[in-house]
Amino acid sequence: MEKTTVRFVVNNQSVEVSAIPSARLLDILREELDLTGTKEGCGQGECGACTVLLEGEAVNACLVLVGQVEGKRIETIEGLAQGSILHPLQQAFIDEGAVQCGYCTPGMVLAAKALLAENPTPTETEIRVAIAGNLCRCTGYTKIIKAIQSAAWRART
Amino acid sequence: MTFNWVGKPIPRQDALTKVTGEVRYMSDLTMPGMLWGRILRSPHPHALIRSIDISKAKAMPGVVVVLTHADIGGLNAYGIVIQDQPVLCSDKVRFAGDSVAVLAAETKEIADTALQLIEVTYELLPGVFDMHQALLPESPLVHEKGNILRHTAVTHGDISAGFAAADVIVERDYLTSRPMSAYLETEGGVAVVDERGLLTVYCGSQYPDRDATQIARAIGMPKEKIRVVGNPVGGAFGGKDEITIQIHLALLALASGRPVKLVLSREESVLTCWKKHPMHIRMKTGASREGDLTAHEVSIWADTGAYASLGGTILHSAIEHCSGPYRVPHTKIEGWSIYTNNSISGAMRGFGANQVTFAMETQMEILAESLGLDRLSFRVQNGLKDHDLGPLGNELVTAMGPVQTLQAAGATELWQHRAEYKAHPSRPWKKRGVGVAAAIKGCGLGFRMPDFGAASVELLPTGSFRVRVGCPEIGQGNSIAYAQIAAEILRCHVDQIEVITGDTGDTPESGTSTASRSIYAAGNAVLSAAQKMRSSLAAVFGSQEGEEVEVEIEIRENRVVGNGIDFSFAQIAAQLDSWGAGCLQIGRFDAPKAAAEIKGAYGLPHLVFGTNAHVVLVEVDTLSGQVEVLQAVSVSDAGRVINLQGLEGQSEGGTVMGMGYALLEDIIIEQGIVQNANFNSYILPTAVDCPPIETITVEVLEETGPFGAKGVGEVVCISITPAITNAIYDAVGVRITEIPATLERVLAGLSGAATFSAR
Repeated sequence: MEKTTVRFVVNNQSVEVSAIPSARLLDILREELDLTGTKEGCGQGECGACTVLLEGEAVNACLVLVGQVEGKRIETIEGLAQGSILHPLQQAFIDEGAVQCGYCTPGMVLAAKALLAENPTPTETEIRVAIAGNLCRCTGYTKIIKAIQSAAWRART
Repeated sequence: MTFNWVGKPIPRQDALTKVTGEVRYMSDLTMPGMLWGRILRSPHPHALIRSIDISKAKAMPGVVVVLTHADIGGLNAYGIVIQDQPVLCSDKVRFAGDSVAVLAAETKEIADTALQLIEVTYELLPGVFDMHQALLPESPLVHEKGNILRHTAVTHGDISAGFAAADVIVERDYLTSRPMSAYLETEGGVAVVDERGLLTVYCGSQYPDRDATQIARAIGMPKEKIRVVGNPVGGAFGGKDEITIQIHLALLALASGRPVKLVLSREESVLTCWKKHPMHIRMKTGASREGDLTAHEVSIWADTGAYASLGGTILHSAIEHCSGPYRVPHTKIEGWSIYTNNSISGAMRGFGANQVTFAMETQMEILAESLGLDRLSFRVQNGLKDHDLGPLGNELVTAMGPVQTLQAAGATELWQHRAEYKAHPSRPWKKRGVGVAAAIKGCGLGFRMPDFGAASVELLPTGSFRVRVGCPEIGQGNSIAYAQIAAEILRCHVDQIEVITGDTGDTPESGTSTASRSIYAAGNAVLSAAQKMRSSLAAVFGSQEGEEVEVEIEIRENRVVGNGIDFSFAQIAAQLDSWGAGCLQIGRFDAPKAAAEIKGAYGLPHLVFGTNAHVVLVEVDTLSGQVEVLQAVSVSDAGRVINLQGLEGQSEGGTVMGMGYALLEDIIIEQGIVQNANFNSYILPTAVDCPPIETITVEVLEETGPFGAKGVGEVVCISITPAITNAIYDAVGVRITEIPATLERVLAGLSGAATFSAR
């Protein structure tokens, strides 16, 4: 397949990449744009380590082809903090001890961000469902759920 | 005793760059001029290699190097204990996934295509896929020396007398599954050779220093010219203790003269990762009417797969832990670690203790029921105490926590009110049950292996400190614990301690981040180095030109007061620097050993043990057989807790890992071929499957540990498994003797069918 130019917005910055349209968004982010905060865990949409926000919606970047994002807005973990000011979810993940090896963390934080954008006052069950597509092998999810609850609470007060 | 830092839930220092995505794992690294590597894997579980033709692959434009066994300069083998696993197979493959060739190319795509151009002619051999069959004389041999990697028999007391004293004897067989660590970051990294000929391998690892030893031996290069950077790592759980791809990376970088990156796909990782040993365990256990265990006879068969790695050591760990946290006066234990063509088995969190504890904790339930005793009181009555004899006859001379831990489990709200918790299932066809179980797990490497920690503490010109420890941070949180230990001794803020781990070029060799040992062994080394640093700070006072003078000092909030003088850390650093005295202190801790080795059981016993108990509420769907875990309480005896948040994190994560082991996880291998090589078919617990988990700490202080700490990285995932299967019995009366307790097995039990399958 021939390479074409694909233009989209990542973390509020316009980018232009020359790529085969069937290239995975995951590879373009990691290898062309050096945004390695987006991780690969399974390559088949089961683990959620590659979760990014596409027009605000949490998607698995391993299942999105770069040709599909022409003109779209993408947010990766690198786009959350404003300079040294962390996003409330990031701060809550630190404070609550929701990070161990950290490999699932970017995907978890972004899945949580998509949830809170749609539902600022989720129940514990709603949080569990929202991150059910994001595997974590270290934490047992307990502190991740607490962190999301805590960030939601902080946003309300 | 009150502490400034020890015991506090201090957020980890590495969390910041992990939440921002800035942290670079080894598989995130890129370098200018970097090539992409691939490994050609055998599709056959057992075959002779008749020929390997790399000419077409080599001729493909963009391919830089293609290597086979012929290109290996050193020993073409690796293995922590016995080096019987080829780096690149020469004459024979022994499991589907064995490495046959490696190549590096300009792009991933070229590497993928070129891999298809390597032509290997195999002559298929009959394989051996059942460990009992592997013991038969007519079975195919995985290795010429025979299919038994290790056979060990240990007796203590008089087993006949023990059974004669029993009023009830329970004999059962148990089968356990083959789960994998399933770290989210697959094996990956980059290797590069610099202009001075120094080889650096960046690859997630639990023991970079031993990786360097194994790389050096295989490539025939002095270890001094090899640096291994092993962290940050996206999860390990035992699976990154042994070599994974480090030697392949090294070969490619040396042959190409360029940086080479290699990252396994999940499928390739599942095929080739170290899996927990499936075991067949036969237990015959006797107890008296009064509720005392009298005898325990155990046979263990462990499927170690195609190569040795730690298979023998894991068998020994199973032997040591097969009585659970209980005192038994008469034991007879025999085990076999057996080669098969079923992938490879190795270290995974729990190291042989999970399997036997599942079996023992089921035996305890059956015994209690037969004797009409309360299942928790029966456990407490038999719980190991200080100075008891362990299952192998050795005196337990360190702080034992089973009794206190079980008592705390018994005092939980869930246990106390279990009848009420069970009374109201969510649907009429569902039933609830409450289960309890306990476990111990040795901390450290046992009797024979060198077991030490080393650390340095450096006073920096800024007045802060840098702590260096070889034990990598594998996600478990040892680095924040090191910072807290140092800050406690140095009376500074924990933020003034920077911790570096897991880099042979920068950190002192401290052994491996395995065996629940890194806080105990390396934490003690940090403690020692920090104490020496305190002394060296004192030397600045009242001394001339750095001569040692005894001065009483007091450290107060980054200032040191002595002889009526008051210096900041930064001033002391400047003073020491002006004397050329240096500001680095090294601490070392040699882990104490038991008084004697258990006869015939290399490396046993362990000296220090962590304990955990779990109380769990489950709901069983009697129509589908599905088991839901509704609530879990984990009671941990870690000795002194250094970081409460970290301990809870271990406990919660361990609970869920042990829950996956109980209910879901099993690598299915048919005729040597893995059937479920990704997360669509190998199912891990998700957030919706997991219960709320409460952690209770019981601090039975161990005087040889730093501030009294022991290790619990493994034991937290052990007791949950039998607690769940015991809860299933409590709910529906189905005794689970084969894990995972799948829907089919639970349903078969409900219908009265035999649930025990031959494996």
